[in-house]
Amino acid sequence: MEPAERAQAALDRVPRVDAYGFERPADVDAAAYEDSLAAQLAVLARRAHKWERLLRGGGVRRNLTLKRYIRKGVPLEHRARVWMGVSGAQAQLDQNPGYYHRLLQGHRDDSLEEAIRTDLHRTFPDNVRFRRDAEHCLQEPLFNVLLAYGLHNPAVGYCQGMNFVAGYLLLVSSREEEAFWLLDALLGRILPDYYGPAMLGLRTDQEVLGELVRAKLPAVAALLDRHGVPWSLLAARWFICLFADVLPVETALRVWDCLFCEGSKVLFRVALTLLKLHQAFLLSAASGPELCQRAQEITRGACAWHCYSFMQTPAARKQGFDELCPF
Amino acid sequence: MAYAYLFKYIIIGDTGVGKSCLLLQFTDKRFQPVHDLTIGVEFGARMITIDGKQIKLQIWDTAGQESFRSITRSYYRGAAGALLVYDITRRDTFNHLTTWLEDARQHSNSNMVIMLIGNKSDLESRREVKKEEGEAFAREHGLIFMETSAKTASNVEEAFINTAKEIYEKIQEGVFDINNEANGIKIGPQHAATNATHTGNQGGQQAGGGCC
Repeated sequence: MEPAERAQAALDRVPRVDAYGFERPADVDAAAYEDSLAAQLAVLARRAHKWERLLRGGGVRRNLTLKRYIRKGVPLEHRARVWMGVSGAQAQLDQNPGYYHRLLQGHRDDSLEEAIRTDLHRTFPDNVRFRRDAEHCLQEPLFNVLLAYGLHNPAVGYCQGMNFVAGYLLLVSSREEEAFWLLDALLGRILPDYYGPAMLGLRTDQEVLGELVRAKLPAVAALLDRHGVPWSLLAARWFICLFADVLPVETALRVWDCLFCEGSKVLFRVALTLLKLHQAFLLSAASGPELCQRAQEITRGACAWHCYSFMQTPAARKQGFDELCPF
Repeated sequence: MAYAYLFKYIIIGDTGVGKSCLLLQFTDKRFQPVHDLTIGVEFGARMITIDGKQIKLQIWDTAGQESFRSITRSYYRGAAGALLVYDITRRDTFNHLTTWLEDARQHSNSNMVIMLIGNKSDLESRREVKKEEGEAFAREHGLIFMETSAKTASNVEEAFINTAKEIYEKIQEGVFDINNEANGIKIGPQHAATNATHTGNQGGQQAGGGCC
């Protein structure tokens, strides 16, 4: 078969919508996707078996074995349980039975509700499960989780970006209450002050990323300085959405596996890894705007598939992830 | 492409008023009813022609939500023009204009040209803010004013281009220091070569399409 025919045949075989409900981009390299999937199948099957054995003993206990397992990716069917366990969200849920539902039945906050509603249809418009005509449309659960969180933590209320984060949580756990406590673990403990009125935590981490780049990738830092491009332009979306809606969904969820287990340092590692992997591409940008464009491209399209396989492959991950690890 | 001048714009206003849709209509000539919301700051560019000169518009599109102001504020500096957008179907977005204007004036250079835009003019039946109110606000605060529809493209070209004309006139009058890039204006490589072989202020666009 000619390469073009083979590519088309592969494209016909790859479903239009992925396991999470996201429509595949039109320019997806289906043949490469199939190849990487085929190469991974045996590994994934073996890993699934190991996870079964690990979790058979009951609860999720934090230890080095678990961390090692998580680094290699949590199978989707165990993801909600593992995240709940390692983040402490399960403990919170157990200690506060019925709290989530009481929040939703409590006092109303009209401006909070309006702010959340404004963004419902702007959350993952490329995901069929978030469309209003979907059988179990996720817009209402998303509204509930965000509303409950805003009432639970009035100092934060609702901040854009939280909709993407909560949306991902609902794709992983079908239980609103679990999504709520996972959101609380992320926003309250793992990433404090990211979404507060002044976004102080977020801005601090952006500065820290800037310093890390200056130390580890000085050429990239110099390029940004030369074009007068602030870090917030390149990496704000990465950090505000925690790579949701930035990286391909499977890659982003693999990042979240580590985020729940190891904390915010994971965001820096992923950011640095992306910048390092695509350093040459970034450095050939001729202007500030072109640099911004390229910074978006390295998380999408053909480049994103590269990153996808990078997260999937333990050997590559070791090079990219661990060697870059500044901690 | 070579240009005589580059103008930097910033688009500001409450969340959901249609800032990104205005930009998309201007750069790509299309309307996307369902799209991702803007997080932080995004970017678009297009070439236009004023007085026979190629002018490149570099446009920074900002997130409208309050929390993001701490991030977006830094983009006021270095902007020659601002589009301040409200939604004619939501009174709140009009009421917040004063705060936006104070913020813009405080953090930008004093010559920045501000265009006030009442967007969603296609939704006449749901109108909450009269056109006269927009005009009055603009007059009172020394802004240019237009009602637009990013959906039907009505006045979208004009909003971006008229702002550029105003900036261009200020340059001709010597109000802007064009050698200081902090003013949001950059002289292009083509500038020295162009001369008055073209006629009038036609303001027609050239080379549309996409981000650069």
